[in-house]
Amino acid sequence: MDNDDELQRLASEYVLGTLESAERVQVEQRLAREPALRVAVDAWELRLLPLTALAPPAQPSAQLWPRISASLTPAALRQAGGWQAWWNNLAFWRVLAGGAVACTAALAVVLGVQLQSPAGPGYLVVLVAPQDKAPGWIVQAGNRNALGKSNTDLALIPLGPTSVPEQKSLQFWTKGKDWKAPVSLGLVQAGQSLKVSLDKLPPMQADQLFEITLEPQAGSPTGRPTGPILYIGRAVKVM
Amino acid sequence: MPAPTATFDYEAALRACARGDQQALHGLYQQESRYLLGVALRIVRQRALAEDVLHDAFLSIWRRAGSFDATRGSGKGWIYVVVRHQALNVARARTHEVGADEETVEALLHERQAEGGDSSDAYALQADMGRLHDCLGHLDEAKRNCILYAYVDGCSHSEIAQRLSSPLGTIKAWVKRGLASLRQCMG
Repeated sequence: MDNDDELQRLASEYVLGTLESAERVQVEQRLAREPALRVAVDAWELRLLPLTALAPPAQPSAQLWPRISASLTPAALRQAGGWQAWWNNLAFWRVLAGGAVACTAALAVVLGVQLQSPAGPGYLVVLVAPQDKAPGWIVQAGNRNALGKSNTDLALIPLGPTSVPEQKSLQFWTKGKDWKAPVSLGLVQAGQSLKVSLDKLPPMQADQLFEITLEPQAGSPTGRPTGPILYIGRAVKVM
Repeated sequence: MPAPTATFDYEAALRACARGDQQALHGLYQQESRYLLGVALRIVRQRALAEDVLHDAFLSIWRRAGSFDATRGSGKGWIYVVVRHQALNVARARTHEVGADEETVEALLHERQAEGGDSSDAYALQADMGRLHDCLGHLDEAKRNCILYAYVDGCSHSEIAQRLSSPLGTIKAWVKRGLASLRQCMG
């Protein structure tokens, strides 16, 4: 049989769907390394594609998208664009640092009275949106209370509303300099303050990282940030 | 596949998926899922199974979006191809199981005949298929039905043989000749 005839037969019946399982697998493996077969298959896909219009539409059940969405997370982690890419990107932090310092200075003035009153060093973090550096939240932590006792509570305070898509949640994370991975500080309600106890964590450090990511409704299933970073910032020591 | 929607940019959605934007995948889902489920349902014939196909196909689209090559075809076409082949893989794996069971084959055959057979043209072809419509029209009815049963309903050679009450060898020859004629007609 002519080689081209055989190539066309394989390509056309692969697209049509009449090849048996074993032959289908073979064609799929050959596609990766045989450009001629790939071109033939592409041409057949294009020729027959209008026939998909003959299948009457069918409305998927309401559970299907949540199921798909829940399955995306491990795949997202495997991709290079996961949280590690952000976290390890030096250029990103350099750009961010300028904006964060400016925001911190501005907010420190606003918050000056509140921070000064109990006396003692504390930490302030301004969480900004990565794209436009707009501040969205502030974190206040580690300052001593009026009795001079070290306060291990951390307060996350919204500066404005954050819109959260349906079936999604905001999750709050932190990572110290020598930690292997970020630690979850819990889910956050948009526009609402959150108090978190830090007794289980090492003491706050200057430059400690904080971020809020968009995660599935019940929070990240992996214990690591999986969704896009909405707000991010570093701790700054304030007197 | 429904007529193209001018406002939806499939290629941009796939590029966004490749960057890890889950909203873009959701956008594709909202735009196409009912048509894609229709395609899968015709091929695998069970609703729960068709939803499994769509689930796996969307994960595949998500993972492979970065490898989508616009020079090889449209983004919309690529999505349909992913869903169809996912459904065909499931259908062919099951054909194998069913094929081993002679009684099931006999029962299916009688069921089809009781439904009134398939001597009439199986599909009212839609006129908006362009050249494909004309070229399918030039085929004789038996070859045309072979191609439609396979592509739209996901039938294997032996399932088509049952539907058309014809020997397996004849069906294989009709499919092969039908496809060759289509290629000649469409270029």
